[in-house]
Amino acid sequence: MTVAAAEDGARRSSWFWAGMMIASFAIISALRITDAIGETTGFILMACAMMLIIPLTRAGLARQRATGHLSPAVVRYTRRFMIATFGYVLGLGLAVWLHERFGLDGAEAFAIALLPIVPIFAMIWAMGRYLVEEEDEFLRHRAMMASLFGLGVVLAAGSFWGFLETFGVVPHVWAWWTFPAWAIGMGVAQCWMAWRDRSGDEA
Amino acid sequence: MKNRLKVLRAERDWSQEDLARQLEVSRQSVNAIETGRYDPSLPLAFRIAELFGMPIESIFLRD
Repeated sequence: MTVAAAEDGARRSSWFWAGMMIASFAIISALRITDAIGETTGFILMACAMMLIIPLTRAGLARQRATGHLSPAVVRYTRRFMIATFGYVLGLGLAVWLHERFGLDGAEAFAIALLPIVPIFAMIWAMGRYLVEEEDEFLRHRAMMASLFGLGVVLAAGSFWGFLETFGVVPHVWAWWTFPAWAIGMGVAQCWMAWRDRSGDEA
Repeated sequence: MKNRLKVLRAERDWSQEDLARQLEVSRQSVNAIETGRYDPSLPLAFRIAELFGMPIESIFLRD
């Protein structure tokens, strides 16, 4: 198989599993919003849909291998991030369930809020370790540029939204959105750099 | 910064993958350096120069 064919195959596989995961989340969310399924069933289905992250991660690693982006540090980072993601889904589901079932407050509410927070700290730690452990300076440079772009998105969107909220133009947004906004910004930057790399690839 | 990496690699009939393996970097690193999208650090530039048996200034040229 040629390098281009391997890249195409890996890319198709990544898009397939990403599409499956998004479609699963969308269907489960729609069923939950319309009350077609209960809270517990929704959580169990969401947890099952999260299992799709395994083939998605494998396809992502194959793609990185095919495009020459795979390094031992990337493999370690992916493994750590995947474990933290599972912890996050379980922690969030459990925290929401406990909060709604028992209406906790005070120290108990603080304790259950830690259930999704600790895995998010683990994700941030995994990203930090990746920057420390990555020996390939170009890949490290790319990761740092993507992180800075994500940070720029958070600062710009947060400031913009914050002032609109101050003057009553938009509704309140929870502060935990900072991490997803940063991750989305980072993902956009990675996609843009990958596209730019492909356009200059070896013939 | 311009460089002669692609020419030097072609003279030896090496692919980007071959060069990347010898330099212990990713293929994308070689690609980015060749196309001028990334300037290597001094340690990596020295490794490239040693591999080709040439001084750095014969491989990397100022714009």
